[in-house]
Amino acid sequence: MWGSDLLEQNPDFYKVMECPWTGEKVVCVRSLRPDYSIIHVQEADIYGNARILGPNYQDVLLSRASGHVILTTERIVGTYRMQEEPKLTAIPHILVDAVVELPGGAKHGICYPEYLTVDFDLHKEYQKAVKSGEVPKFAEKMLEGRL
Amino acid sequence: MKEKVMSLDQALNLVQDGMLLAMGGNGMHRNATLFALGLTLKPVKDLKVCAAAPGIAADILVGTGKADRAYFGFFGLENEAGLAPGMRKAMQGANPTAKATEGS
Repeated sequence: MWGSDLLEQNPDFYKVMECPWTGEKVVCVRSLRPDYSIIHVQEADIYGNARILGPNYQDVLLSRASGHVILTTERIVGTYRMQEEPKLTAIPHILVDAVVELPGGAKHGICYPEYLTVDFDLHKEYQKAVKSGEVPKFAEKMLEGRL
Repeated sequence: MKEKVMSLDQALNLVQDGMLLAMGGNGMHRNATLFALGLTLKPVKDLKVCAAAPGIAADILVGTGKADRAYFGFFGLENEAGLAPGMRKAMQGANPTAKATEGS
């Protein structure tokens, strides 16, 4: 933080304080408390226990930092999957408010190992929709039959 | 344990005006894209988004004006997908519709 403009640019976000033990000046960063985490996973059971296959990114931290979690999942699996390998449960049910079964929920992006490349035809369509302000129309097409 | 399975529509209705949403995934990877697209069809407004590396889902919310603020370390789609078009549209130019808090 020292030497950057971040402290001056966001005074509501950063405060310089004195370390109570050493007297050293330290930068304190205000924590974010998200109302909801919106996380797409490969596997969840009906109670909201979720497994993430492949990289977690920061999703485990996000789920803990948020007040509530909404999961969309490629598929709903039996709870026995979690009981067989409890340590593979990335997000436990106690954090979760909603489980939505939504195969292809990360399209037109990537969801390992279900679909491994970006759908560039759709991505070009999305880029055009952003420019012309027609993203809701693109959304209607992508969500046809799902709402 | 309580059953929490619901329809996409029911889950979308949980999101209320002014909420801060943490978006999972990274770049084009494992983003809740369809959920974000669903929010663009709802009247919800004044959202804020955060993530270490928000990608396509956050881009949808910022680019459509659903979210007016983003807290992030890096905001982009990576590789061939390039920069985040919705974020650029909302944040560049004389009259930005969204504010970025970088390095948060």
